[in-house]
Amino acid sequence: MSGHSNWPEWIYIGVVIALLVWVGSEAWNIERLVEHVPEEAKVIKVTGQQWFWTFEHEDGTKETGELHVKKGVPYKFEISSKDVIHSFNIPDYLVLMDAVPGRITTVWFLPVDEGEFPIQCREYCGLIHYNMRGTLYVEDKS
Amino acid sequence: MRIIIGLMVLSILVFLPTIQLVFGAEEAAEYIDRRVEIWNLFFRMMTVAFVVGSVVSGTLIWLIWRFRESHPKATPTKYEGTGELDN
Repeated sequence: MSGHSNWPEWIYIGVVIALLVWVGSEAWNIERLVEHVPEEAKVIKVTGQQWFWTFEHEDGTKETGELHVKKGVPYKFEISSKDVIHSFNIPDYLVLMDAVPGRITTVWFLPVDEGEFPIQCREYCGLIHYNMRGTLYVEDKS
Repeated sequence: MRIIIGLMVLSILVFLPTIQLVFGAEEAAEYIDRRVEIWNLFFRMMTVAFVVGSVVSGTLIWLIWRFRESHPKATPTKYEGTGELDN
C-alpha cells in the first residue's frame, strides 16, 4: 500500500463517530430533562380498563372519562391497567405512556394552555379501543 | 484496525464520560415544556439526518460523475491493457 493515502477514510470515520456521539448525547440529555419530575408535582393515579380511563387525585377525588387539572401546576401520572395493556395518551401535550397490568408507569406534564384536550388510548386493546377516550380540562388556578 | 479499536476504547473511556459529566453538571430545569423540548429535538435530529443524507448522496453522485470512463480527465489505471484484470 505504499504511496496510498487513506486520510479521507479516517476523516470520514471521525465525522461519523462525532455525529453519533453528538446525536446520542443530545437525545440522552433531552430524555433526562423530560423525565425529571418536579418534587411538588401532584400525583394523579390513572387506571385504564376496557374501555375507559379513571383518574384519582391526591385528595381522593375520582373522575371517569374526564380529568380536571389546574393550569401551571405540574402533575405526575401514575398509570396502571386492570386488564390488558393500554397506552395513556394526551396528544396535545405529547404525553404517552403504556398502562400495563401489575405495573405502575409514570409520566409528568405541565398544563400551560387552558382548554379542553382529548385523551385517548394508543394501544389496541380490544373491540372498543377506538372509543376509549377522555377529555382533559385545563382550568385557571383561581 | 488498532486505531479503530483504540478510538472506540477512547470514546467509551474518555469522550462519553466527559459528555455525561458536562451535561450532568447542568441542573435539570423545572417546569420545562415537554412539547418544546421533544419537538426541538426532533427538528434538530431531522436537520442532522437531512444534512448527512445530502452530503453522502452528493459525494456518491460526484464520485460516479467524476470517475466515469468518459470523463475528460479520466486516466487509465496502470493495470489497464496489461491483461492482469482479464481472468
